[in-house]
Amino acid sequence: MQSNVAGEFLDWVASWRRELRFAGYALAATLSPSTYVAATRTVAFKQIYFTAWQILLPFTLFAALFSMVFIEISLIAARRFDLSQFALELIVRALVLELLPLLTALFVALRSGAAIAAEVALMRQSGELEAAGENLLRHELVPRVAAAAISVVSLTVLNCALALVLAYFSMYGFSPWAFEDYTRVVGSVFSVPVMAGFILRCMLFGAAVAVIPIVAGLEATGRVKSVPVAVLNGMVRLFFVLGLIEVVSLAAKYI
Amino acid sequence: MTTDKEPGFTLLPKDLEFKVKLLLILTIATAIAFVLYVMYARGVFEAKQRLTLVVENAEGVSVGMDLTFSGFAIGRVRRIALADDGKARIDIDVPRTDAGWLRSTSIFTLERTLVGASKIRVFTANLQDPPLEDGAVRPVLRGDATEELPGMIAALKNTLENIERMTATEGSLQASLGNVRTITERMGGRQGVLGGVLGSEDNAKKVVAAIDRANSLLTSLGGVSARLDSALGKTDSVLGKTEQRVFGAGGVMDETQKAVAQANSILGEVRESLRKVDAVLADAQVVGTNAKAATTDLRALRAEVDASLRKVANLIDEINRKWPFERETGIKLP
Repeated sequence: MQSNVAGEFLDWVASWRRELRFAGYALAATLSPSTYVAATRTVAFKQIYFTAWQILLPFTLFAALFSMVFIEISLIAARRFDLSQFALELIVRALVLELLPLLTALFVALRSGAAIAAEVALMRQSGELEAAGENLLRHELVPRVAAAAISVVSLTVLNCALALVLAYFSMYGFSPWAFEDYTRVVGSVFSVPVMAGFILRCMLFGAAVAVIPIVAGLEATGRVKSVPVAVLNGMVRLFFVLGLIEVVSLAAKYI
Repeated sequence: MTTDKEPGFTLLPKDLEFKVKLLLILTIATAIAFVLYVMYARGVFEAKQRLTLVVENAEGVSVGMDLTFSGFAIGRVRRIALADDGKARIDIDVPRTDAGWLRSTSIFTLERTLVGASKIRVFTANLQDPPLEDGAVRPVLRGDATEELPGMIAALKNTLENIERMTATEGSLQASLGNVRTITERMGGRQGVLGGVLGSEDNAKKVVAAIDRANSLLTSLGGVSARLDSALGKTDSVLGKTEQRVFGAGGVMDETQKAVAQANSILGEVRESLRKVDAVLADAQVVGTNAKAATTDLRALRAEVDASLRKVANLIDEINRKWPFERETGIKLP
């Protein structure tokens, strides 16, 4: 029993080491110019198309609905407590800075992460991966990691911008005269550290959504049964990492 | 590619690259626009001037806080630091366009409220004063609602204690109510409201006695008028004698006439004084409306006075009849 627990722990540490090593490798490959050839570009474009473009409209609609509900609740609550002057700041801080990036990352993780993990696990199980070797890793998986990360950032940026616009119209209606007031609040919220933290978190979310499912897929073995286990492990680990990034960023910002 | 191998997977569109590029361009454009907007919102593109506020306690002040003038934000806290003298220095950036509201005589306040963030406000009484120079250092007046709370509670406690003391069994309010009760009891007593107003039965009695005395005074006035009446009677007899002397002896017409004129004036005076008495009596009647007995006396007295007046009037008529001065102004001497 004891040795079993210890063995599991060692496996756990080893899989995390693989994650980090692959993340480092992907980063290095993304930064090296030799990766940027026509083939990798096509792979990356395809990945962006499937991860971001295909879900752009439905996800934007969903995010807009979610934003509207959140904004209305915040406004009603703030007005009831006579604190409406703080409503916009609350909306920007909670919705735009925290909830929407997390929601986007989770959505992309569900939409693409699981698919990528399963795909890689199946390639591993069929031995296709070993046959292709290093070349596949570099020209197939690395561009997909970069593309997934870009997709997460892109969706986050677009939906946050939409939420900011929706917040303005929900709060002030279609009057242009509140723009100065609104600008002041946005300016006071988006200080340089907050902006840097927001960008960093978006990138971390993107990296987590891109890297963790692929590494989880790589953990599959030749046995068919190892495929669902690998995918499951990958998704659990991904959600855990997303939650951890969120908690750490909140703690760094507000504690 | 994997997508070609797997059945049921979406086929790749021909304009895939265009769509992805469009998405990327849209994303980058949005991101750049947003960064520029935030920079604009934070006043990066504005010319600014620095203002340093010195305050004893910078509690509640945070970087990014607004400096407001008439409820409008005209500046933003850029930095808070503790100076060597132990006071807090609040650096505020004010855009040049809004710096016109700051004058050399402007007053700065830092207010802490019970709910919500602290506020730094500026008050400018005279906008014609010289403008505040760049890098000016100004003191801040602190107004803290929470700081005043202990004092307020102490005052409130004091007030409540006073009220408690007033309303206690031995308190002044109870004593006042007791006094009110005594007064109303007196009012309900034998001397009525008079007793209540004057404080005691004795005083009320004195007032009643005074009224009685006024009544007796009026009675004696009646006596006086009776005596006047008798005096008039005497005058009557004197006049009778004069008449006799005039008719009997003759030659004393001048003196008689003078005497009659004098008598006439005396009678006029008497009438005047009687009229005064009448006025006094009217006053006395007003004073003594309560006492019915007095009014009865007065009525009798007035009747007497009236009678006297009537007699006097008759007398004058008689004199006039006997000595018709009015008709013959010149008097012929025999």
